[in-house]
Amino acid sequence: MSPDPNVRSQELAQGLHLDYRFVADSDLAVTRRYGLVHERGGPHRADVPVPTTIVLDRDGVVRWLAISDNFQVRPDAQQVLAALRAL
Amino acid sequence: MRAGWLAALSVLVSVTAIGVYSRFLRVAAVRNNPEGYVAAFAIAAVIAGLAVALRRRWYTWAVLVLSIVLVLGGAAFNFVLARIPAVQTTLRVGERAPEFTLPDATGRPVALADYRGKKPVVIVFYRGYW
Repeated sequence: MSPDPNVRSQELAQGLHLDYRFVADSDLAVTRRYGLVHERGGPHRADVPVPTTIVLDRDGVVRWLAISDNFQVRPDAQQVLAALRAL
Repeated sequence: MRAGWLAALSVLVSVTAIGVYSRFLRVAAVRNNPEGYVAAFAIAAVIAGLAVALRRRWYTWAVLVLSIVLVLGGAAFNFVLARIPAVQTTLRVGERAPEFTLPDATGRPVALADYRGKKPVVIVFYRGYW
């Protein structure tokens, strides 16, 4: 999920042959509801989402959460898979 | 002679740090430890300092200045510019995530509620502007 518009996300998904879904939160309304906005953290001091990975179980309950404090750092796919296997 | 070798070693350490970090960004152990390149630049600066201590020539000073610029620049980037301030997230482990409905890349609405009772969900927020 990001503020990137649909067209850009669609091109990105097709170019990378990805089968997961990009959703566009263009006005950051959902990002704000989640409390994950980095004020003036993006290009031209735009508000951007804090890089975050969330694992929800089948009931929509948060079971694993990784919020980045350094934009160079992301959770490893293996960590996310381990969190999913633990559900 | 030894000062020249030390100066060359200092440059090698810096270049290797930049090369490894750039080339192996896909490897989680490298990507998730960016302080590693700052540490490597600091080591290069110490080696350059030793080179200057042994022989004060233009090339030993040049390598020392270069390595100091790299360690200060790397530290400024990693510890200041790349930092994201803590946010007051509404998410709590053990609580349900807020509902949403947003358009996907083809314009079709995606509702988090569609997955309830069916599948676990991984949501990844990224900065965008790609």
